[in-house]
Amino acid sequence: MDMNRRQALSLALGAGAAIGLGIRPSQAADDIVIGGSIPLSGVFAFAGIGIHAGIQDYVKIINDGGGIAGRKVTYLAEDTAYKTDQSVAVFNKLTSQADIHLYYSDSTAFAKTINAELDRRKSILMAGASFASELNDPKKYPFQFIAGPDYTQMFDILLQYVAKTKPGAKIAFVHSDTEFGRDPIAAGQAQVKALGLKMTETIVTPPSAVDVSTEILKLRRANPDFTIFHGYVLAPLPEFMSQAKQMGLATKFMGTFWSMDNSLWTKVGEPADGFMGVMPYRYYYDTEGKSPMLEKIRQMRPDYQSTAYMQGFLTAMLFLESAKRTLAAGKTLTAENLKAALNSLKDFDTGGLIGVPISIPGNSVPVGRVYRYDAAKKLMVADSDWIKVGG
Amino acid sequence: MDFDWLFFTEVTLAGLGNSALLSLTGLAFVLIYKATRVVNLAIGEMLMIGAYLFFSFTAGMGLPPYAAIVLAILGGALLGAAIERAVIRPMLGEAAISVFMVTIGVGSVLIGLAEIIWGAEPTALPDFMGKTPIFIGDAYVSRKVVIGFTVSAVVIALFLLAFRFWRGGVALRATASDQAAAYSCGINVPAVFSVAWMFAGAAAAGAGILVGAVGGIAPTMGVFGLSALVVVIVGGLDSIAGALIGGILVGLLEAWCGTYLGGEYKMLATFGLLMLVLMVRPYGLFGTVEIERL
Repeated sequence: MDMNRRQALSLALGAGAAIGLGIRPSQAADDIVIGGSIPLSGVFAFAGIGIHAGIQDYVKIINDGGGIAGRKVTYLAEDTAYKTDQSVAVFNKLTSQADIHLYYSDSTAFAKTINAELDRRKSILMAGASFASELNDPKKYPFQFIAGPDYTQMFDILLQYVAKTKPGAKIAFVHSDTEFGRDPIAAGQAQVKALGLKMTETIVTPPSAVDVSTEILKLRRANPDFTIFHGYVLAPLPEFMSQAKQMGLATKFMGTFWSMDNSLWTKVGEPADGFMGVMPYRYYYDTEGKSPMLEKIRQMRPDYQSTAYMQGFLTAMLFLESAKRTLAAGKTLTAENLKAALNSLKDFDTGGLIGVPISIPGNSVPVGRVYRYDAAKKLMVADSDWIKVGG
Repeated sequence: MDFDWLFFTEVTLAGLGNSALLSLTGLAFVLIYKATRVVNLAIGEMLMIGAYLFFSFTAGMGLPPYAAIVLAILGGALLGAAIERAVIRPMLGEAAISVFMVTIGVGSVLIGLAEIIWGAEPTALPDFMGKTPIFIGDAYVSRKVVIGFTVSAVVIALFLLAFRFWRGGVALRATASDQAAAYSCGINVPAVFSVAWMFAGAAAAGAGILVGAVGGIAPTMGVFGLSALVVVIVGGLDSIAGALIGGILVGLLEAWCGTYLGGEYKMLATFGLLMLVLMVRPYGLFGTVEIERL
């Protein structure tokens, strides 16, 4: 199509305005509405973009299949730039414009901030990007859940794997000096002891650390068999790994969910070889077993989709399964009913997104699997069976 | 218990590597402040764009690293010139706080541009420094740290010499000390402003390549610029030597505190030093003491 400069400019301005103002799908009075404070820009944008696409796709699949009990699902979301005040502003704006039943939160800080409001409203069930252990408390957070294991449970999965593959192994933790980074450390140290492993070092890095040479020297002195990172996405993991290799350290490096995206490690290349970590979901390209939902995703999007996409997709699936069960029981979509429906999930089949049937007894899905990066294949490959931990 | 001197030496050498990165980024702050009295909070983002330019030239276009370094530094200089001409120069004569706020806005725009052009995902720069470890005596030191330190030391030395002996450098110093007098002496003050921003952009791009080689790149990596701001406030906002000494002080302090007290004390030590210096010498260790008469 030929386009002159003025037409191209108009199109660009129109697209910009649509993004800036938030695209609003038309919405009927009885729609089931998912709201979202989504980090489409800022430090967490890489995840937010994937999460957004995952939720959109699952909503499309449900609507293409006739909705839920004949009711259409609408997804309303706005960018928060991963700032709590903006997330709250988006929440207030969306809830004033629509009758929202389900809500995606972008951060631990927002989940904690808005919790009192959720308790007051009693009309919204919320989940989000946070896997904070603190949120896995149905008494304190009755209308929230985590679409995967919390960070303490992720450490538990990794440590159980270590205890099985190398009993008595020496362990080091490296974490960022943030709420995110500190989350599973104390519980993880206790679990190391309980599993008969040996804690050799806990290294803390400042939030904006770039050069971690001194921390790597400490790690060399500790000489652990396994080093578990938490509180990072990518940096400074590659630097740790490449310097450790230079120094001849034999330690194996591990990480938690947000460090596990395949495309991140593909760009790192050879130094990433052997990096392991916990994944609550299958990867986009996994073909083992029966996974009709993954096949559907691959049909909808022929290119690789991130781990964040899978997280958004599964969250939407759990949201709408709760809504479906609530309506099937002839109940109204209140937070209490939605949460009860969520907790009624027992051996639920996610269509292959998670390799085993799942149950949600509390606020989390306490299951995951260890994957290992294979630099030759440029893929994260499964290195363990699915491991269930205490819920 | 015997003190482990080898470990201390290794930690100190690693600290010096971090010092070099801080000093080089601090240099970019100083160049602009010295000539234009603008505290440019977009330095971190200019650094980030430099790193991404290098990434594009190497990983994207397949150019050899040394050509990519030169092109990225030139790109950084052009970016500096463009920001000065399009955004900062029209603000001449406005209140310092207005210009300061504009630089914050420029930083946000650059982050947005990077997210649009290169995406929001963090990524790693192609390895161009080699992997063989370096030993100084028995002490291990990372190759990247040695290269980063050497490059930064050479660049800062060149700038020190340029300001002392080069005609343009002298013009810049003259402009910094008295703009009106510089005008009357025939110095093209707007051109001096442009040159200062170009040099700062080039230094920031160079620092971005080094920072990116160590810590990877992401649109948000500009936060490193804030660490360097501490360095220049400690060293003196208008002193190149101050950026160097401040960088060394902060880098070593962080390395020693992080190792012997724990990583959670690094920031505490850095900002403790900042407070101490500001109380004792409000213009920084090597900054010009300005006497204001009412």
